[in-house]
Amino acid sequence: MGVSCVYSYPVPEGRSGAQVVEVLQKQVETLGGIKAGNFIVDCETYQSVMLNPPKTLHILHNSEHPASCFAILDSGATLVADTLFNGLVLYLKNFYQARKGAKIESKGQRFQLSDFVLKIGSVSLAGSMKGVLVEVEYCPSVVAADCWNLMKELLQSLIGNVAENPPPSLKPKMDETYTPAMTMLQYLDHFNSFRTAAAMGQPLR
Amino acid sequence: MEGSSLAPSLKNIAPQQEYLLQGSILDAHRDTLLHRLRGLCDNAESSFEMFNDYEAVYTLRNSSTTQQNDPFLFRVRRALDHPDAADHIRYLGNAEIGLGDRRPTLVRACLDVACSKNVREFLTEMGFRMDHDYVARGVFFHKGRMKVMVYKIYKLIQPGITDAKNLEQLGNSHVVELSVVAPLGQEQIGEDMKNFADQLKPLVLLEKLDHKNL
Repeated sequence: MGVSCVYSYPVPEGRSGAQVVEVLQKQVETLGGIKAGNFIVDCETYQSVMLNPPKTLHILHNSEHPASCFAILDSGATLVADTLFNGLVLYLKNFYQARKGAKIESKGQRFQLSDFVLKIGSVSLAGSMKGVLVEVEYCPSVVAADCWNLMKELLQSLIGNVAENPPPSLKPKMDETYTPAMTMLQYLDHFNSFRTAAAMGQPLR
Repeated sequence: MEGSSLAPSLKNIAPQQEYLLQGSILDAHRDTLLHRLRGLCDNAESSFEMFNDYEAVYTLRNSSTTQQNDPFLFRVRRALDHPDAADHIRYLGNAEIGLGDRRPTLVRACLDVACSKNVREFLTEMGFRMDHDYVARGVFFHKGRMKVMVYKIYKLIQPGITDAKNLEQLGNSHVVELSVVAPLGQEQIGEDMKNFADQLKPLVLLEKLDHKNL
């Protein structure tokens, strides 16, 4: 486990998401990346019923941590629990109900490139493809500030200026010890913007 | 890593049920019971396994006044003697009524989930409020998959503070609990528990208690 940065890679007009994923995968392999299995990050969103003020609860899973479940509230408060937490959410159905058609996931190929792990994920919301997320993890470090420049260099050779700055949710925590929950917060930020874009009927730029 | 193929299987939860018998014993006779249990249970040669847990009960209520629902409860436990161990959230259902209620033990849904230390703040933010808390201190035994607990309940004079000075013991007896958590539909366990409980008579009488009738 190391520091991860997640970026949304824009799909240019006239090209499909699948094509972009293919190009990115080729690029990673040219860099020397070796295929190392698949990955999936998924997110289910629950809305409070008759609670004042209303609250939103996001339940995320990451195949990198297959026995854990990440519960995140709007405020960013994160609870890390066993996957059994899903069962607790079911018992809460009188208070928190799943938002229909809001299940979103990013899945795809995972690559190993010496100390880095790269993941190229296709994002699908309720079954339709919405975009591409690229995650780069630098395994030997647990402090983002220490390895950001190194990661930036690799990221920029792959996705260019999209990776000019550290991800917004990571920025205030650059000097803290990195935890898997911080990766999940980054995914959630992206998932939320994909959902907003989908609700507006606009492709995400 | 075969994560993506592993994750979905872990997400499917087999519903678990707790089979429970409860009783109590006066403090003065606790040691007699402990020796009896030590002889009956596994690991007779090793010393007693102790526990010292802080449990807080959180409730969630609808804000609507028209619906008088039963409040929804989560029990959050922390081991005071193992500060590094994960906290636990436990959900317990109401006593199930079935089979003409001829079952020898109380049966209820049970789900125990380990979670990170910030669970109290997280539940509060989800809309839960702390209802009451206590410290349970005692000994536990195993007999196969049966678990026997003999513990004392301490009231907290000021909620949330588990300092020894803030604890006040409740009553002059210990709680005795015999429980098994198992997947749905294993009715045989109830009989096994009944037989085990009979061996503790007349020291302690373990009974099927429906908490709704208390």
